[in-house]
Amino acid sequence: MVPDFLTIAEAAALIGKRELSPVELTESRLARIERFDDKLHSFIRVLREPALAAARRAEAEIMGGNYRGPLHGIPIGLKDIYETKGVPTTGHSKILIDHVPQQNAASVRRLTDAGAIVVGKLATHEFALGGPSFDLPWPPARNPWNTSRFTGGSSSGTGAAVAAGLVLGGTGSDTGGSIRGPAAFCGLAGLKPSYGRISRVGILPLAFSLDHAGPMAWTAEDCAIMLQAMAGYDPADPASADRPVPDYRAALSGDVKGIRIGLIRHFYENDNPADEATRQGIAAAVNVFEGLGCSVRELRLSPLAEWAACGVMIMLSEAYAIHQATLRERFDDYGELFRDRMALAALVSGGDYVQAVRRRRELAAEFTTAMADLDLAITAAAPGEAPAIDAVSKFSTFERPMLTMPFNVTGTPAMSVCCGYSPAGLPLAFQLCGKPFDEATVLRAAHAYETATPWRSVRPRLEP
Amino acid sequence: MKQPEHWGDGIVKTQDMTRAEVETALARAGLEVPEREKSEIAAAAHFIQEMAERVRGRRAMSAEPAHIFPPPGE
Repeated sequence: MVPDFLTIAEAAALIGKRELSPVELTESRLARIERFDDKLHSFIRVLREPALAAARRAEAEIMGGNYRGPLHGIPIGLKDIYETKGVPTTGHSKILIDHVPQQNAASVRRLTDAGAIVVGKLATHEFALGGPSFDLPWPPARNPWNTSRFTGGSSSGTGAAVAAGLVLGGTGSDTGGSIRGPAAFCGLAGLKPSYGRISRVGILPLAFSLDHAGPMAWTAEDCAIMLQAMAGYDPADPASADRPVPDYRAALSGDVKGIRIGLIRHFYENDNPADEATRQGIAAAVNVFEGLGCSVRELRLSPLAEWAACGVMIMLSEAYAIHQATLRERFDDYGELFRDRMALAALVSGGDYVQAVRRRRELAAEFTTAMADLDLAITAAAPGEAPAIDAVSKFSTFERPMLTMPFNVTGTPAMSVCCGYSPAGLPLAFQLCGKPFDEATVLRAAHAYETATPWRSVRPRLEP
Repeated sequence: MKQPEHWGDGIVKTQDMTRAEVETALARAGLEVPEREKSEIAAAAHFIQEMAERVRGRRAMSAEPAHIFPPPGE
Protein backbone atom coordinates (compact mmCIF):
# COMPACT_ATOMS: atom_id res chain seq x y z
CA MET A 1 0.00 0.00 0.00
CA VAL A 2 1.52 3.31 -1.07
CA PRO A 3 1.00 6.09 1.53
CA ASP A 4 -1.40 8.89 0.56
CA PHE A 5 1.30 11.49 1.05
CA LEU A 6 4.99 11.13 0.31
CA THR A 7 7.66 13.70 -0.30
CA ILE A 8 9.97 13.30 -3.28
CA ALA A 9 12.86 12.59 -0.93
CA GLU A 10 10.89 9.89 0.93
CA ALA A 11 9.73 8.22 -2.26
CA ALA A 12 13.20 8.42 -3.81
CA ALA A 13 14.73 6.73 -0.78
CA LEU A 14 12.25 3.85 -1.08
CA ILE A 15 12.64 3.58 -4.87
CA GLY A 16 16.43 3.64 -4.54
CA LYS A 17 16.23 0.70 -2.13
CA ARG A 18 13.73 -1.03 -4.46
CA GLU A 19 11.12 -0.95 -1.70
CA LEU A 20 8.73 1.13 -3.79
CA SER A 21 7.88 0.50 -7.41
CA PRO A 22 7.60 3.56 -9.72
CA VAL A 23 4.65 1.78 -11.35
CA GLU A 24 2.82 1.34 -8.04
CA LEU A 25 3.63 4.90 -7.06
CA THR A 26 2.33 6.27 -10.37
CA GLU A 27 -0.78 4.07 -10.20
CA SER A 28 -1.45 5.35 -6.68
CA ARG A 29 -1.26 8.98 -7.85
CA LEU A 30 -3.54 8.26 -10.83
CA ALA A 31 -6.02 6.68 -8.43
CA ARG A 32 -5.90 9.77 -6.20
CA ILE A 33 -6.44 12.03 -9.21
CA GLU A 34 -9.47 9.96 -10.18
CA ARG A 35 -10.77 10.07 -6.61
CA PHE A 36 -10.23 13.72 -5.74
CA ASP A 37 -9.70 15.86 -8.82
CA ASP A 38 -13.37 16.15 -9.75
CA LYS A 39 -13.57 18.65 -6.90
CA LEU A 40 -10.10 20.15 -7.14
CA HIS A 41 -9.88 20.68 -10.92
CA SER A 42 -6.11 20.80 -10.64
CA PHE A 43 -5.55 18.87 -13.89
CA ILE A 44 -6.41 20.04 -17.38
CA ARG A 45 -5.19 16.79 -18.88
CA VAL A 46 -4.20 13.51 -17.24
CA LEU A 47 -1.62 11.51 -19.22
CA ARG A 48 -2.50 8.11 -17.80
CA GLU A 49 -1.07 5.73 -20.38
CA PRO A 50 2.10 7.73 -21.17
CA ALA A 51 2.73 8.06 -17.43
CA LEU A 52 2.33 4.34 -16.81
CA ALA A 53 4.57 3.54 -19.78
CA ALA A 54 7.23 5.92 -18.44
CA ALA A 55 6.88 4.39 -14.97
CA ARG A 56 7.38 0.90 -16.41
CA ARG A 57 10.51 2.08 -18.24
CA ALA A 58 11.81 3.69 -15.05
CA GLU A 59 11.19 0.51 -13.11
CA ALA A 60 13.02 -1.59 -15.70
CA GLU A 61 15.97 0.81 -15.67
CA ILE A 62 16.18 0.79 -11.89
CA MET A 63 15.87 -2.96 -11.66
CA GLY A 64 18.60 -3.15 -14.30
CA GLY A 65 20.92 -1.12 -12.09
CA ASN A 66 20.53 2.16 -13.95
CA TYR A 67 19.17 4.40 -11.20
CA ARG A 68 19.36 8.01 -12.39
CA GLY A 69 18.82 9.78 -9.08
CA PRO A 70 16.13 11.10 -6.78
CA LEU A 71 13.63 12.06 -9.50
CA HIS A 72 13.75 8.64 -11.15
CA GLY A 73 10.23 7.22 -11.08
CA ILE A 74 8.71 10.26 -9.32
CA PRO A 75 5.26 11.42 -10.59
CA ILE A 76 5.11 15.14 -11.28
CA GLY A 77 2.74 17.56 -12.98
CA LEU A 78 3.46 20.39 -15.40
CA LYS A 79 1.76 23.77 -15.38
CA ASP A 80 0.03 23.94 -18.75
CA ILE A 81 2.32 26.65 -20.06
CA TYR A 82 5.23 24.17 -20.20
CA GLU A 83 5.27 22.80 -23.73
CA THR A 84 5.07 19.05 -24.15
CA LYS A 85 5.84 17.22 -27.38
CA GLY A 86 2.70 15.84 -28.96
CA VAL A 87 0.53 16.88 -26.01
CA PRO A 88 -1.63 20.03 -26.12
CA THR A 89 -0.25 22.99 -24.18
CA THR A 90 -3.04 25.50 -23.83
CA GLY A 91 -2.15 28.15 -21.26
CA HIS A 92 -5.61 27.24 -19.91
CA SER A 93 -7.03 29.26 -22.81
CA LYS A 94 -9.38 28.80 -25.71
CA ILE A 95 -6.83 30.74 -27.76
CA LEU A 96 -4.38 27.80 -27.70
CA ILE A 97 -6.82 24.96 -27.22
CA ASP A 98 -5.44 23.14 -30.29
CA HIS A 99 -1.78 24.01 -29.72
CA VAL A 100 0.27 20.81 -29.90
CA PRO A 101 4.00 21.55 -29.54
CA GLN A 102 6.62 19.67 -31.52
CA GLN A 103 9.12 19.72 -28.65
CA ASN A 104 9.27 19.57 -24.89
CA ALA A 105 10.25 22.71 -23.02
CA ALA A 106 13.94 22.62 -22.09
CA SER A 107 13.11 22.26 -18.39
CA VAL A 108 10.66 19.44 -19.13
CA ARG A 109 13.41 17.66 -21.04
CA ARG A 110 15.72 18.05 -18.07
CA LEU A 111 13.12 16.70 -15.66
CA THR A 112 12.32 13.66 -17.79
CA ASP A 113 16.02 13.05 -18.42
CA ALA A 114 16.34 12.89 -14.62
CA GLY A 115 13.67 10.19 -14.67
CA ALA A 116 10.57 12.15 -13.57
CA ILE A 117 7.21 10.74 -14.69
CA VAL A 118 4.88 13.38 -16.17
CA VAL A 119 1.39 12.48 -14.96
CA GLY A 120 -0.40 15.38 -16.61
CA LYS A 121 -0.84 19.04 -17.41
CA LEU A 122 -2.00 21.31 -14.62
CA ALA A 123 -4.43 24.19 -14.43
CA THR A 124 -3.12 27.75 -14.51
CA HIS A 125 -4.58 31.19 -14.71
CA GLU A 126 -5.10 32.02 -18.38
CA PHE A 127 -1.62 32.64 -19.83
CA ALA A 128 -0.36 32.84 -16.24
CA LEU A 129 -2.30 36.05 -15.56
CA GLY A 130 -6.09 35.84 -15.86
CA GLY A 131 -7.69 34.04 -12.97
CA PRO A 132 -9.44 32.58 -11.15
CA SER A 133 -11.76 32.52 -14.18
CA PHE A 134 -15.03 30.70 -14.63
CA ASP A 135 -15.43 31.40 -18.36
CA LEU A 136 -12.52 29.35 -19.71
CA PRO A 137 -12.59 25.88 -21.29
CA TRP A 138 -11.61 24.39 -17.89
CA PRO A 139 -12.68 25.47 -14.41
CA PRO A 140 -10.21 27.07 -11.99
CA ALA A 141 -8.35 24.84 -9.54
CA ARG A 142 -9.66 24.70 -5.97
CA ASN A 143 -7.70 24.79 -2.74
CA PRO A 144 -7.43 21.30 -1.15
CA TRP A 145 -7.53 22.80 2.36
CA ASN A 146 -11.00 24.14 1.64
CA THR A 147 -12.44 23.91 -1.86
CA SER A 148 -14.37 27.17 -1.46
CA ARG A 149 -11.01 28.95 -1.21
CA PHE A 150 -8.65 30.32 -3.83
CA THR A 151 -5.45 28.42 -4.62
CA GLY A 152 -3.54 31.57 -5.43
CA GLY A 153 -2.19 31.98 -8.89
CA SER A 154 -1.13 31.62 -11.45
CA SER A 155 0.39 28.18 -10.81
CA SER A 156 -2.94 27.19 -9.33
CA GLY A 157 -3.13 23.58 -10.47
CA THR A 158 0.38 22.86 -9.24
CA GLY A 159 -0.45 24.29 -5.83
CA ALA A 160 -3.59 22.20 -5.54
CA ALA A 161 -2.17 18.96 -6.96
CA VAL A 162 0.95 18.92 -4.78
CA ALA A 163 -0.96 19.86 -1.61
CA ALA A 164 -3.48 17.09 -2.29
CA GLY A 165 -0.78 14.51 -2.92
CA LEU A 166 -1.91 13.94 -6.51
CA VAL A 167 1.69 14.45 -7.60
CA LEU A 168 4.87 14.71 -5.53
CA GLY A 169 6.08 17.88 -7.23
CA GLY A 170 5.29 20.16 -10.09
CA THR A 171 6.43 23.06 -12.16
CA GLY A 172 5.36 26.66 -11.76
CA SER A 173 6.25 29.97 -13.29
CA ASP A 174 6.57 33.27 -11.49
CA THR A 175 6.32 36.71 -13.11
CA GLY A 176 4.97 38.60 -10.10
CA GLY A 177 4.48 35.83 -7.56
CA SER A 178 2.85 32.96 -9.44
CA ILE A 179 4.93 30.27 -7.74
CA ARG A 180 5.06 31.82 -4.28
CA GLY A 181 1.39 32.84 -4.12
CA PRO A 182 -0.12 29.39 -4.69
CA ALA A 183 2.64 27.82 -2.61
CA ALA A 184 1.62 30.12 0.26
CA PHE A 185 -2.13 29.52 -0.04
CA CYS A 186 -1.78 25.75 -0.57
CA GLY A 187 0.91 25.23 2.09
CA LEU A 188 3.79 24.19 -0.18
CA ALA A 189 7.41 25.11 -0.59
CA GLY A 190 7.71 27.09 -3.83
CA LEU A 191 10.98 28.48 -5.15
CA LYS A 192 11.37 31.27 -7.67
CA PRO A 193 15.06 30.92 -8.54
CA SER A 194 17.25 33.70 -9.92
CA TYR A 195 16.32 35.11 -13.32
CA GLY A 196 18.24 33.05 -15.86
CA ARG A 197 18.77 30.02 -13.60
CA ILE A 198 16.20 27.83 -15.41
CA SER A 199 15.70 28.00 -19.17
CA ARG A 200 12.50 29.67 -20.34
CA VAL A 201 12.65 27.91 -23.71
CA GLY A 202 9.36 26.19 -24.43
CA ILE A 203 7.43 27.94 -21.67
CA LEU A 204 4.62 30.21 -22.84
CA PRO A 205 5.77 33.73 -21.92
CA LEU A 206 3.88 36.25 -19.85
CA ALA A 207 6.55 38.97 -19.54
CA PHE A 208 9.98 38.21 -20.95
CA SER A 209 12.07 40.16 -18.46
CA LEU A 210 10.20 39.00 -15.35
CA ASP A 211 9.36 35.35 -16.13
CA HIS A 212 11.00 32.76 -13.90
CA ALA A 213 10.41 29.00 -14.03
CA GLY A 214 10.70 27.03 -10.81
CA PRO A 215 9.78 24.04 -8.67
CA MET A 216 6.83 23.60 -6.32
CA ALA A 217 6.81 20.70 -3.86
CA TRP A 218 5.99 19.86 -0.27
CA THR A 219 9.41 20.62 1.20
CA ALA A 220 12.50 22.70 0.56
CA GLU A 221 14.43 19.46 0.10
CA ASP A 222 12.05 18.43 -2.69
CA CYS A 223 12.47 21.85 -4.31
CA ALA A 224 16.24 21.33 -4.14
CA ILE A 225 15.88 17.98 -5.89
CA MET A 226 13.73 19.46 -8.64
CA LEU A 227 15.88 22.58 -9.05
CA GLN A 228 18.94 20.37 -9.46
CA ALA A 229 17.35 18.83 -12.53
CA MET A 230 15.81 22.01 -13.94
CA ALA A 231 18.72 24.44 -13.50
CA GLY A 232 21.53 25.06 -15.95
CA TYR A 233 22.72 27.18 -18.83
CA ASP A 234 20.76 27.00 -22.06
CA PRO A 235 22.27 28.87 -25.01
CA ALA A 236 18.85 28.81 -26.70
CA ASP A 237 17.49 31.16 -24.01
CA PRO A 238 18.95 34.67 -24.35
CA ALA A 239 18.28 35.29 -20.65
CA SER A 240 19.94 32.07 -19.50
CA ALA A 241 22.82 32.56 -17.08
CA ASP A 242 26.05 30.66 -17.65
CA ARG A 243 26.71 30.14 -13.95
CA PRO A 244 27.82 27.00 -12.11
CA VAL A 245 24.99 24.94 -10.63
CA PRO A 246 25.91 23.81 -7.11
CA ASP A 247 24.75 20.64 -5.40
CA TYR A 248 21.56 22.02 -3.83
CA ARG A 249 20.71 18.98 -1.78
CA ALA A 250 24.20 18.83 -0.33
CA ALA A 251 23.68 22.42 0.82
CA LEU A 252 20.88 21.28 3.16
CA SER A 253 23.28 20.72 6.01
CA GLY A 254 20.88 21.84 8.70
CA ASP A 255 23.52 24.25 9.95
CA VAL A 256 22.42 27.86 9.57
CA LYS A 257 24.55 29.33 12.37
CA GLY A 258 25.85 32.75 11.48
CA ILE A 259 23.42 33.42 8.63
CA ARG A 260 22.49 37.13 8.64
CA ILE A 261 18.84 37.86 7.92
CA GLY A 262 17.08 41.17 7.24
CA LEU A 263 13.42 41.40 8.26
CA ILE A 264 11.43 43.57 5.83
CA ARG A 265 8.70 44.30 8.32
CA HIS A 266 7.21 47.42 6.71
CA PHE A 267 6.12 45.44 3.64
CA TYR A 268 3.58 43.45 5.68
CA GLU A 269 2.90 45.80 8.59
CA ASN A 270 2.40 49.08 6.70
CA ASP A 271 2.56 48.75 2.93
CA ASN A 272 0.26 45.74 2.49
CA PRO A 273 -0.85 44.93 6.03
CA ALA A 274 -0.99 41.23 6.80
CA ASP A 275 -3.47 39.70 9.22
CA GLU A 276 -2.55 38.98 12.81
CA ALA A 277 -1.99 35.24 12.28
CA THR A 278 0.53 35.89 9.50
CA ARG A 279 2.38 38.49 11.60
CA GLN A 280 2.53 36.07 14.50
CA GLY A 281 3.73 33.31 12.19
CA ILE A 282 6.57 35.46 10.91
CA ALA A 283 7.48 36.63 14.42
CA ALA A 284 7.65 33.00 15.52
CA ALA A 285 9.74 32.13 12.44
CA VAL A 286 12.20 34.88 13.35
CA ASN A 287 12.50 33.33 16.81
CA VAL A 288 13.15 29.92 15.23
CA PHE A 289 15.91 31.33 13.03
CA GLU A 290 17.49 33.11 15.98
CA GLY A 291 17.29 29.89 17.96
CA LEU A 292 19.11 28.13 15.14
CA GLY A 293 21.94 30.62 15.38
CA CYS A 294 20.98 33.20 12.74
CA SER A 295 21.11 36.91 13.42
CA VAL A 296 18.04 38.94 12.42
CA ARG A 297 17.83 42.72 12.06
CA GLU A 298 15.33 45.12 10.54
CA LEU A 299 15.72 45.89 6.83
CA ARG A 300 13.99 48.90 5.31
CA LEU A 301 13.51 49.25 1.56
CA SER A 302 11.49 51.60 -0.65
CA PRO A 303 7.74 51.26 -0.03
CA LEU A 304 6.23 48.09 -1.48
CA ALA A 305 4.05 50.12 -3.84
CA GLU A 306 7.21 51.36 -5.60
CA TRP A 307 8.32 47.80 -6.32
CA ALA A 308 4.83 46.72 -7.33
CA ALA A 309 4.32 49.66 -9.69
CA CYS A 310 7.63 48.99 -11.39
CA GLY A 311 6.96 45.28 -11.81
CA VAL A 312 3.32 45.55 -12.82
CA MET A 313 3.99 48.25 -15.44
CA ILE A 314 6.68 46.06 -17.01
CA MET A 315 4.55 42.91 -16.73
CA LEU A 316 1.49 44.49 -18.33
CA SER A 317 3.46 46.10 -21.13
CA GLU A 318 5.40 42.97 -22.09
CA ALA A 319 2.30 40.76 -21.85
CA TYR A 320 0.33 43.20 -23.97
CA ALA A 321 3.03 43.13 -26.64
CA ILE A 322 2.75 39.33 -26.78
CA HIS A 323 -1.05 39.29 -27.08
CA GLN A 324 -1.66 42.58 -28.92
CA ALA A 325 -2.48 41.11 -32.34
CA THR A 326 -4.62 38.28 -30.97
CA LEU A 327 -6.51 40.64 -28.67
CA ARG A 328 -7.50 42.67 -31.73
CA GLU A 329 -8.67 39.60 -33.62
CA ARG A 330 -10.12 37.37 -30.90
CA PHE A 331 -10.89 39.58 -27.88
CA ASP A 332 -13.95 37.53 -26.93
CA ASP A 333 -12.05 34.23 -27.04
CA TYR A 334 -9.98 35.26 -24.02
CA GLY A 335 -11.49 35.01 -20.57
CA GLU A 336 -12.86 38.26 -19.19
CA LEU A 337 -10.21 38.64 -16.48
CA PHE A 338 -7.30 38.25 -18.85
CA ARG A 339 -8.68 40.41 -21.63
CA ASP A 340 -9.72 43.24 -19.31
CA ARG A 341 -6.38 43.22 -17.51
CA MET A 342 -4.79 43.41 -20.96
CA ALA A 343 -7.13 46.24 -21.94
CA LEU A 344 -5.77 48.16 -18.96
CA ALA A 345 -2.30 47.44 -20.29
CA ALA A 346 -3.28 49.22 -23.49
CA LEU A 347 -3.37 52.42 -21.42
CA VAL A 348 0.36 52.21 -20.60
CA SER A 349 2.49 54.45 -22.79
CA GLY A 350 5.81 53.42 -24.28
CA GLY A 351 7.47 56.19 -22.32
CA ASP A 352 6.10 54.92 -19.03
CA TYR A 353 7.25 51.39 -19.84
CA VAL A 354 10.79 52.68 -20.25
CA GLN A 355 10.47 54.69 -17.04
CA ALA A 356 9.50 51.46 -15.28
CA VAL A 357 12.58 49.74 -16.67
CA ARG A 358 14.74 52.67 -15.51
CA ARG A 359 13.10 52.43 -12.08
CA ARG A 360 13.90 48.72 -12.07
CA ARG A 361 17.61 49.47 -12.33
CA GLU A 362 17.38 51.83 -9.35
CA LEU A 363 15.42 49.36 -7.23
CA ALA A 364 17.72 46.46 -8.07
CA ALA A 365 20.72 48.60 -7.05
CA GLU A 366 18.93 49.52 -3.83
CA PHE A 367 18.39 45.85 -2.97
CA THR A 368 22.01 44.98 -3.72
CA THR A 369 23.22 47.74 -1.38
CA ALA A 370 20.71 46.81 1.33
CA MET A 371 21.81 43.17 1.22
CA ALA A 372 25.54 43.95 1.32
CA ASP A 373 25.96 42.71 4.88
CA LEU A 374 23.09 40.22 4.86
CA ASP A 375 22.65 36.71 3.47
CA LEU A 376 18.85 36.53 3.38
CA ALA A 377 15.74 38.63 3.83
CA ILE A 378 12.39 37.62 5.29
CA THR A 379 8.99 39.11 4.62
CA ALA A 380 5.42 37.88 4.19
CA ALA A 381 4.51 35.83 1.12
CA ALA A 382 0.83 36.78 1.29
CA PRO A 383 -1.15 39.08 3.56
CA GLY A 384 -3.11 36.21 5.06
CA GLU A 385 -4.91 32.94 4.40
CA ALA A 386 -6.46 32.08 1.03
CA PRO A 387 -9.59 34.16 0.34
CA ALA A 388 -12.83 32.71 -1.02
CA ILE A 389 -12.37 31.84 -4.69
CA ASP A 390 -15.38 33.94 -5.70
CA ALA A 391 -14.12 36.96 -3.74
CA VAL A 392 -11.10 37.60 -5.97
CA SER A 393 -11.77 40.73 -8.00
CA LYS A 394 -10.93 41.34 -11.63
CA PHE A 395 -8.29 43.90 -10.78
CA SER A 396 -7.05 42.38 -7.52
CA THR A 397 -3.47 42.51 -8.83
CA PHE A 398 -3.61 46.30 -8.65
CA GLU A 399 -5.66 46.85 -5.50
CA ARG A 400 -2.91 46.03 -3.02
CA PRO A 401 0.82 46.00 -3.82
CA MET A 402 2.01 42.43 -4.26
CA LEU A 403 4.40 41.22 -1.56
CA THR A 404 6.10 38.93 -4.05
CA MET A 405 6.82 41.38 -6.89
CA PRO A 406 9.98 43.00 -5.44
CA PHE A 407 11.97 39.84 -6.09
CA ASN A 408 10.80 39.60 -9.69
CA VAL A 409 12.00 43.17 -10.12
CA THR A 410 15.40 42.24 -8.67
CA GLY A 411 15.50 38.81 -10.34
CA THR A 412 16.83 37.33 -7.11
CA PRO A 413 15.76 34.00 -5.56
CA ALA A 414 12.74 33.97 -3.26
CA MET A 415 10.88 31.09 -1.70
CA SER A 416 7.53 30.66 -0.02
CA VAL A 417 7.80 28.71 3.24
CA CYS A 418 4.79 27.54 5.25
CA CYS A 419 4.84 28.98 8.80
CA GLY A 420 1.70 27.47 10.27
CA TYR A 421 -2.05 27.57 9.87
CA SER A 422 -4.75 30.16 10.47
CA PRO A 423 -7.56 29.66 12.98
CA ALA A 424 -9.59 28.36 9.99
CA GLY A 425 -6.92 25.74 9.31
CA LEU A 426 -5.52 27.38 6.18
CA PRO A 427 -1.79 27.68 5.46
CA LEU A 428 0.23 30.83 6.20
CA ALA A 429 3.63 31.63 4.75
CA PHE A 430 6.67 33.85 4.67
CA GLN A 431 9.21 34.49 1.94
CA LEU A 432 12.92 33.81 2.23
CA CYS A 433 14.81 35.97 -0.23
CA GLY A 434 18.43 35.52 -1.23
CA LYS A 435 21.23 37.06 -3.20
CA PRO A 436 21.58 36.49 -6.95
CA PHE A 437 22.18 32.81 -7.79
CA ASP A 438 22.40 31.88 -4.11
CA GLU A 439 19.42 29.53 -4.11
CA ALA A 440 21.53 27.18 -1.97
CA THR A 441 21.39 29.48 1.08
CA VAL A 442 17.64 30.06 0.61
CA LEU A 443 17.04 26.32 0.46
CA ARG A 444 19.38 25.62 3.40
CA ALA A 445 17.56 28.08 5.65
CA ALA A 446 14.11 26.91 4.52
CA HIS A 447 15.06 23.28 5.12
CA ALA A 448 16.43 24.08 8.59
CA TYR A 449 13.21 25.94 9.45
CA GLU A 450 11.00 23.11 8.19
CA THR A 451 13.01 20.60 10.18
CA ALA A 452 12.70 22.68 13.36
CA THR A 453 8.93 23.18 13.09
CA PRO A 454 5.95 20.79 12.86
CA TRP A 455 4.20 22.31 9.83
CA ARG A 456 5.36 19.76 7.22
CA SER A 457 3.58 16.98 9.07
CA VAL A 458 0.14 18.56 8.52
CA ARG A 459 -1.68 17.67 5.31
CA PRO A 460 -5.14 18.59 4.05
CA ARG A 461 -8.06 16.26 4.71
CA LEU A 462 -9.65 15.50 1.36
CA GLU A 463 -13.15 14.38 0.56
CA PRO A 464 -13.94 12.60 -2.71
CA MET B 1 -3.14 66.30 -13.05
CA LYS B 2 -4.48 66.58 -9.52
CA GLN B 3 -1.94 66.11 -6.75
CA PRO B 4 -1.79 62.50 -5.55
CA GLU B 5 -3.97 61.83 -2.55
CA HIS B 6 -2.15 59.59 -0.07
CA TRP B 7 -4.15 56.61 1.18
CA GLY B 8 -1.66 55.63 3.78
CA ASP B 9 1.94 54.61 3.84
CA GLY B 10 3.09 54.05 0.29
CA ILE B 11 -0.23 54.05 -1.56
CA VAL B 12 -1.25 56.88 -3.86
CA LYS B 13 -4.60 57.61 -5.52
CA THR B 14 -4.76 60.02 -8.43
CA GLN B 15 -7.60 61.50 -10.41
CA ASP B 16 -9.31 58.94 -12.65
CA MET B 17 -8.99 59.05 -16.42
CA THR B 18 -12.31 60.01 -17.93
CA ARG B 19 -14.45 57.36 -19.56
CA ALA B 20 -13.94 59.16 -22.88
CA GLU B 21 -10.15 59.07 -22.51
CA VAL B 22 -10.24 55.35 -21.79
CA GLU B 23 -12.56 54.66 -24.74
CA THR B 24 -10.26 56.60 -27.04
CA ALA B 25 -7.24 54.63 -25.84
CA LEU B 26 -9.01 51.29 -26.30
CA ALA B 27 -10.23 52.25 -29.76
CA ARG B 28 -6.75 53.39 -30.73
CA ALA B 29 -5.46 49.99 -29.58
CA GLY B 30 -8.00 48.32 -31.84
CA LEU B 31 -9.74 46.49 -29.01
CA GLU B 32 -13.46 45.81 -29.33
CA VAL B 33 -14.47 45.85 -25.67
CA PRO B 34 -18.08 45.18 -24.60
CA GLU B 35 -19.81 48.17 -22.96
CA ARG B 36 -20.06 46.62 -19.49
CA GLU B 37 -16.37 45.80 -19.49
CA LYS B 38 -15.49 49.29 -20.73
CA SER B 39 -17.06 50.75 -17.61
CA GLU B 40 -15.04 48.45 -15.36
CA ILE B 41 -11.84 49.18 -17.23
CA ALA B 42 -12.50 52.92 -17.00
CA ALA B 43 -13.12 52.58 -13.28
CA ALA B 44 -9.79 50.77 -12.88
CA ALA B 45 -7.76 53.08 -15.11
CA HIS B 46 -6.58 55.08 -12.11
CA PHE B 47 -4.40 52.11 -11.13
CA ILE B 48 -2.35 52.61 -14.29
CA GLN B 49 -2.08 56.34 -13.72
CA GLU B 50 -0.93 55.82 -10.14
CA MET B 51 1.72 53.31 -11.18
CA ALA B 52 2.87 55.55 -14.03
CA GLU B 53 3.27 58.45 -11.60
CA ARG B 54 5.38 56.25 -9.38
CA VAL B 55 7.80 55.07 -12.06
CA ARG B 56 8.28 58.46 -13.74
CA GLY B 57 10.14 60.14 -10.91
CA ARG B 58 12.97 62.61 -11.40
CA ARG B 59 16.19 61.13 -12.61
CA ALA B 60 19.26 62.14 -14.54
CA MET B 61 18.94 62.16 -18.33
CA SER B 62 21.67 59.55 -18.42
CA ALA B 63 19.87 57.13 -16.05
CA GLU B 64 19.90 53.82 -17.89
CA PRO B 65 17.09 51.26 -18.00
CA ALA B 66 17.70 47.84 -16.47
CA HIS B 67 17.77 45.99 -19.75
CA ILE B 68 20.95 47.57 -21.14
CA PHE B 69 23.29 44.63 -21.67
CA PRO B 70 26.81 43.94 -22.97
CA PRO B 71 27.23 42.49 -26.45
CA PRO B 72 27.68 38.70 -26.59
CA GLY B 73 31.16 37.62 -25.61
CA GLU B 74 31.95 40.78 -23.64
